[in-house]
Amino acid sequence: MNLLEVSQLDLAIHGTPVLESVSFAIEHGKTFGLVGESGSGKSLTALSLVNLLPPGSVRAGNGRLLDQDLFALDESQLCSVRGREIGMIFQEPMTALNPVQSIGDQVAETLIVHGACSRSEARNQACSKLERVELPPERFPPGMFPHELSGGQRQRVCIALAIALQPKLLIADEPTTALDVSTQAQILALLRSLVEHDGMSLMLITHDLAVVADMADTVAVMESGRIVEAAPTEQLFRNMRHAYTRRLLKASFHKPRRGRLNALHDQPLLRVENAVRSYRLPKSRLFSSAETLRAVNGVSFSLDRGESVGLVGESGCGKTTLTRAILGLDPLQGGQISLGGRPVLAGRKMSRSLRRRMQVVFQDPYGSFNPRHKVDRLVAEPLHLGDQSTNSARRREIVAQALEEVGLTGDDMKKYIHEFSGGQRQRIAIARALVTRPDLVVLDEAVSALDVSMRARILDLLAGLQVKHGLSYLFVSHDLTVVRVITDRVLVMYAGQIMEHGKTEDVFRNPRHSYTRQLLDAAPCIPRSWMQG
Amino acid sequence: MLRYTLVRFLSLCVTLVAASLVVFLVVEIIPGDPASFMLGLNAEPDTVAALRKELGLSGSLGSRYLDWAGGMMVGDFGRSYTYRVPVAELVVARIQVSLPLAFYALLLSTAIAFPVGIMAASRRGSILDIGIMGSTQLGIAVPNFWFAMLLVLVFAVGLRWFAAGGFAGWDQGVLVGLKSLTLPAIALAVTQASILARVMRSALIDTLGQDFIRTARAKGLTRRQALTRHALRNALIPVLTIIGLQFSFLLAGAIIIENVFFLPGLGRLIFQGITQRDLIVVESVVMLLVFAVIVVNFLVDIAYALVDPRLRIRQ
Repeated sequence: MNLLEVSQLDLAIHGTPVLESVSFAIEHGKTFGLVGESGSGKSLTALSLVNLLPPGSVRAGNGRLLDQDLFALDESQLCSVRGREIGMIFQEPMTALNPVQSIGDQVAETLIVHGACSRSEARNQACSKLERVELPPERFPPGMFPHELSGGQRQRVCIALAIALQPKLLIADEPTTALDVSTQAQILALLRSLVEHDGMSLMLITHDLAVVADMADTVAVMESGRIVEAAPTEQLFRNMRHAYTRRLLKASFHKPRRGRLNALHDQPLLRVENAVRSYRLPKSRLFSSAETLRAVNGVSFSLDRGESVGLVGESGCGKTTLTRAILGLDPLQGGQISLGGRPVLAGRKMSRSLRRRMQVVFQDPYGSFNPRHKVDRLVAEPLHLGDQSTNSARRREIVAQALEEVGLTGDDMKKYIHEFSGGQRQRIAIARALVTRPDLVVLDEAVSALDVSMRARILDLLAGLQVKHGLSYLFVSHDLTVVRVITDRVLVMYAGQIMEHGKTEDVFRNPRHSYTRQLLDAAPCIPRSWMQG
Repeated sequence: MLRYTLVRFLSLCVTLVAASLVVFLVVEIIPGDPASFMLGLNAEPDTVAALRKELGLSGSLGSRYLDWAGGMMVGDFGRSYTYRVPVAELVVARIQVSLPLAFYALLLSTAIAFPVGIMAASRRGSILDIGIMGSTQLGIAVPNFWFAMLLVLVFAVGLRWFAAGGFAGWDQGVLVGLKSLTLPAIALAVTQASILARVMRSALIDTLGQDFIRTARAKGLTRRQALTRHALRNALIPVLTIIGLQFSFLLAGAIIIENVFFLPGLGRLIFQGITQRDLIVVESVVMLLVFAVIVVNFLVDIAYALVDPRLRIRQ
C-alpha cells in the first residue's frame, strides 16, 4: 500500500485553473521527485495536500495519506496532520525561521503544539533533534538565534523542526536551490539519511534534474499544472517519452554557441594585483582589540579583451567582496585594480568615463530595479556616465535599440518592472548594462535565480552579445555547470584566495587542487550511462 | 545585551549634554538682556539689575552654564520670577498630574489599539476590518478638544458620572485622583489609539506574509497560534516606536486637554511661563521635558533589544 495517493487533483485560484487532474503516489520509505519549470504548479501541488493554499483557492480531487482522506479533513484536523504526519521545508532558509525566537524554541514548538510532551521535555528533545540534523549542542546551543547561522545551518534547523515528530512524509520544496554546491550536497545527504534510517518518505520538489537523478526513486515531470510523465527515475532518464522532459534535459545541459573572438593579448583589459580587502569583526569584549577578517587575501588575475572568466566558490569565500572592489564600490586595503591601464578607485574618485566601461548584472532581477520607475528610465539610467548629454529623443532611441538587442521590443519601455517575468527582467538588466557600451560586464550570479529553460536562453543571448560587441565577461557564480559552458578560463576561490586557475575545460577535467575536486564532486549529476541513446 | 545597554546609555548622556547646551544657548542668544526682556519696557533700572543678579547673568558664559546645569542635577531649578517659589516646587506639583495622565492615556490607547489592530489584521478585508479602519480614520480626524467637550457634555453635564473639570488631588485616595483624570485620558487616548491600531494592523499584515509564518503553519499551528506566537512579537518593533513617540507627546502636548479640563499640568505651566515671560520656568521645564523624551527613547531602545535579538550585541 502506498503512503500517499493523490488522484485527479484540480486547483483553481480566483477561477483560473492552475492544476489539472494531477495524480501520483508515494511509497513508504521512498523518495518521489517532482520536477518542472517555475510556475508549473509543483509547490501548489504540495501545498494542496495540507491545504495551505493562497486565498481564493478551490481544490477538488482525492488525497489519501494511508487510510486518511486528506481532502475531507477540517481545519483543526489538518492542524494535527501538519507537522505530525506531514513535515515541510521550503526554499528560502534565510527567511523561513522566526528571527526573534531561538532555534531550540522553534524546534520544541513542533512538539509542544502537538502535545507530544511537556515543555521541559520538549527542550531536551529539541537538542537531540538538532543533533540529528548535525547541529551538535556544543557548537550550536539551542539558545542561538537564526541570524547567527549560515543559510545551510538554517536549512538544517528547518529540517529539524519538520522532522521533530517523525512525520511519515517530508515535503521538501526546492530545499537546496538557494544554497551553494557544497552546502547543497550536505543537505541532500542529510535528507537521504532521513529516508534511509528514519523510514520517512520524501517528496522532493525541484527544477534541477540532476538533483532528482541523484535522489529520487520515482520522478514525475510537471508542465503548466499537469503531470506529463512519471516513471521510476532510471527508466525516465533512459527513455524520455514526453517532448517537454527532453526539452528540460536539453536545457540543463545547454551549451551556448560561442563565436570566436580574437582576444587581443597586447594588454589585459582588467588587471587585479595582490588585492586585499579586510573587515573588522565586531569586538568580542568591550575593551579587547577588534579582529579583522581578510575577505580577499592577495588575489591577482587578469582578464583579456573579449574573454570570459569564471569566478567560482562557495558562499562566504570572498567572491562578492572581490566583485565589489572590481566595480569600484568598495576600496581595497592593499594591491590595485586597473581597467584598460587606468586605476579603479572606489567612490567618487573614479572618473565617469572609466566607470562607464564596466557594468554589472545581479542575481535578483526584481530587487535590482526600482519598482516605481518605468523601463525606459531604468535602462537609460547609466547614460549619465556618457561624455555628452543625450536629449530625450536620442535616449529613447538608445533604449529601444538596447531592448531589441536583448529580445524585447521598443514598446516594452513604457511598462513597469512587475509586468515582466523573471527571465524578461534579467534581459532588461542586461540591456541596462549594455547602454553605455562597456568593455567589461560583471555577471554576479546572473542566471542563478532562473530555471533551466530560461537560463539556457539567457546564456545564448549573452554569448551572442559578446561576439557582437566584443565584450569581456567576469562570470561570478556558485553554479559550476553554467560556468563550464560559458567561460574560457576559471578561477576557484576559497577563503579569500584563488586556489586554482586555468582553462575551464582543463580545470573541470583535471582539477589539481583538492578544494576544486571537492567542489566538483559535490555537484549532483545525472549518470552518464542513463543518457546514452 | 549589557554592552548594548551601556552604549545606549552613553548616547543618552551625550544627547542630554547637547540638549542642555542648546536650551541654554537659545536663552542666551535672545537679543537684548533677558532681564529687561522679562520685565518689559517700563521696568526700573534697579529692578532689572536685581533680576539680573537673581538670574545669575553676571559671570562668564561657561561658568553660568555650569551653575545652571549643576543646579539642575541636585534638583535646584532656580526660582520662578512670577510665582516667587522655587521652580522645582512648581514642577513637582504639576508632574503629579501630567505623568499619571500620560500613563493613563497611553495605557488606554494601548489597551484599545492592540486588540483592535490584531482583529483587523487577522480578518483583513472583512466587514470588521473595514469598519475598524473607518472608525480609526475618524478617531484621527476628530480634534481631541472637541471630543473632550463632547465627553464633558455627556458624562459630566448629562449623566453626572464625572466632574466637568479640575483635579481632586491624590490626598483623598488614588481612585478619586484617577477618576478626575478619566475623561481627559479618554479624550487623549482616542487619537493615539487610532494611530496605534493602524500601525499595529499594517505591521501585523506585513509579518503575516513572511515565510516564517508559513513555516509555523506547516508545523501545525493554527492561524491564531501563528499570529500570537510568531507574528505579534515581530510586529512589535514599529509599534514600540510609535508608543515611545506618543508618550513624549502626551507628557507635554496635552496642553489643550489640560485647558479644557482645568488641569494643573506641565503643559499649562509652560504655557503660562511663556506668556508671563518667566524664562527661568520655561528653561527648566523645557529641559525637564527634553530629559523625559530622551529617557523614554532610551527605554524604547532597550525594549527593541528585548524584542529583537538581532539588535543585541553578543558578548
